[in-house]
Amino acid sequence: SIQHVYGAQHPPFDPLLHGTLIKPGSKPPATPVKLKKVSTFQEFESNTSDAWDLGDDDDELLAIAAENLNTEVVMETAHKVIQNHSKLQEQHKFQEEHLQEEKQVGSAELTSVPCGDNRLVKSVSEGHTSSSSDNVSESSSMQRSQSLPQTSTPPLVSGMADYNTSVTPALTEREASRLDKFKQLLAGPNTDLEELRKLSWSGIPKRVRPIAWKLLSGYLPANVDRRESTLKRKRKEYFAFVEQYYDSRNDENHQDTYRQIHIDIPRMSPEVLRLQPKVTEIFERILFIWAIRHPASGYVQGINDLVTPFFVVFVCEYIEEEEVENFDVSSLPEEVLQNIEADSYWCMSKLLDGIQDNYTFAQPGIQKKVKMLEELVSRIDEQVHRHLDQHEVKYLQFAFRWMNNLLMREVPLHCTIRLWDTYQVSTFLHFH
Amino acid sequence: MQKHSQKEHLYKLLVIGDLGVGKTSIIKRYVHQNFSPHYRATIGVDFALKVLSWDAETVVRLQLWDIAGQERFGNMTRVYYREAMGAFIVFDVTRPATFEAVTKWKEDLDSKLVLPNGKPVPTVLLANKCDQGIDVLMNNGIKMDQFCKENGFVGWFETSAKENININEASRCLVKHIIDSESDPVQSVEPDIIKPHLNSSKIVSCSACFKS
Repeated sequence: SIQHVYGAQHPPFDPLLHGTLIKPGSKPPATPVKLKKVSTFQEFESNTSDAWDLGDDDDELLAIAAENLNTEVVMETAHKVIQNHSKLQEQHKFQEEHLQEEKQVGSAELTSVPCGDNRLVKSVSEGHTSSSSDNVSESSSMQRSQSLPQTSTPPLVSGMADYNTSVTPALTEREASRLDKFKQLLAGPNTDLEELRKLSWSGIPKRVRPIAWKLLSGYLPANVDRRESTLKRKRKEYFAFVEQYYDSRNDENHQDTYRQIHIDIPRMSPEVLRLQPKVTEIFERILFIWAIRHPASGYVQGINDLVTPFFVVFVCEYIEEEEVENFDVSSLPEEVLQNIEADSYWCMSKLLDGIQDNYTFAQPGIQKKVKMLEELVSRIDEQVHRHLDQHEVKYLQFAFRWMNNLLMREVPLHCTIRLWDTYQVSTFLHFH
Repeated sequence: MQKHSQKEHLYKLLVIGDLGVGKTSIIKRYVHQNFSPHYRATIGVDFALKVLSWDAETVVRLQLWDIAGQERFGNMTRVYYREAMGAFIVFDVTRPATFEAVTKWKEDLDSKLVLPNGKPVPTVLLANKCDQGIDVLMNNGIKMDQFCKENGFVGWFETSAKENININEASRCLVKHIIDSESDPVQSVEPDIIKPHLNSSKIVSCSACFKS
């Protein structure tokens, strides 16, 4: 029987409502399948890539997905993923799972993973005009990603490179129209946040991402006229905190916190950013102020990684077309840097408000989420679950960091940023 | 070195200690023979494998568990400790607070993990970053020997991941104690013999561990 593959949609698809619960026994046999049939994959991809745009009408989307899916291609791609990414499989599925809001889906959903990856790549290049320049910038950013000291990155990235060739001008057009939609929505006078969430679910164009994130996190008000004054007030408020607390970082009761942050900042990613003294200063201030103001959790390793996406996205607001990771942050005017710092602080605070029990004593939030992941895997891929169990591998041993750092360590930064577009739509709590 | 006469051992070893003392660096040095000042903070646990040709008949595979040092993660350690055969506890000689935490780590370890024979797992203490020249604790080796005896360490080493000092030696010391304790099954079936400081008799017998 054909298993449906559903692209990301908002609100997320609920299989219970659609009566398509999947039997656990319907897994494909584990025979190796060669990567040679690229055309088949492309065919599959073109059949499903438009699923990412729909979302206005769920039923329509489901109908299209059901119609266009070729079981053979689905299974073949599933095998490919299983064979070639046996380790990554968990992570992929996990991300995909979360994109689908932890609903029960069949083994066939593995096939949507490459499609999802491809989308992640495309969203990075949004705002570019020609597809050839897209490819250049993407391949350069990919090389950098591959040099990251993460074992998991190269297969993921090379996988994306394989599919990268299928970027077509039509998609660029589509992206342009998406950008227009966003611009209209953001122009006001009152941004319809529900509409913005719907639209953001499948990715936010790079150019409007900073403002979209600020709106989605609740940092900026929907009313256009109030935005500027809110930004002014919040930025002032943040620097008042800095004034009030930052000198206490070497006091007896705060020095442990500060020292931990100070040790961790040179050890964060991406490498190029952390080597800039200006960036180090900013991150230390943001993290210290947050930790002092949230004594229930304080500073926990991993939180440092959560500043990065905000910082990088907000820097993009002030620079043109440049790769942030190569950008000399100190070349920005002091005032601009202060704005980026304050905005990053507030948006990170909003994010952490929703997941604070990830970082309080015994980290109950993470324990719960790892447990959920275990349940999920046991339902959708019993084979993997049994395998882990037989080898006495505990989910906490490998999935802890996924939750603690919101996948920041597992995928390249631009993929995290794309994921966060979707996360912010229904609050981080839902996903992590 | 005939195939049929080779024995293989697989040991899970823990590497624990406060954050930033150099646990990851020690493992990377030991396993990959390199060093970077920029390893990222370990979250949860990382793994590495080292294969040792112990002697003509024996191959030892070490599964090194690099466990995050931050206190907030302390609740997870039970899951990571299980079935380990030995441990390194690491501190940073330039930060006295990390030495003070050593006993805390030892207690955590011993309270959550014992060998099948009921004894604590062999543990070696590593005084890391000895290349830094800020040697506040090491000026008295006899005191350190005493500290190890009192706290049940089978030995201690001044190490430097940066300069590759004593890491192989420390590992050989730990492995030797693990092999010894494995080939010493008599005590395990006679619980009466087990005493709190049983290990101390072994310390003397291992000349490699203590520099005089």
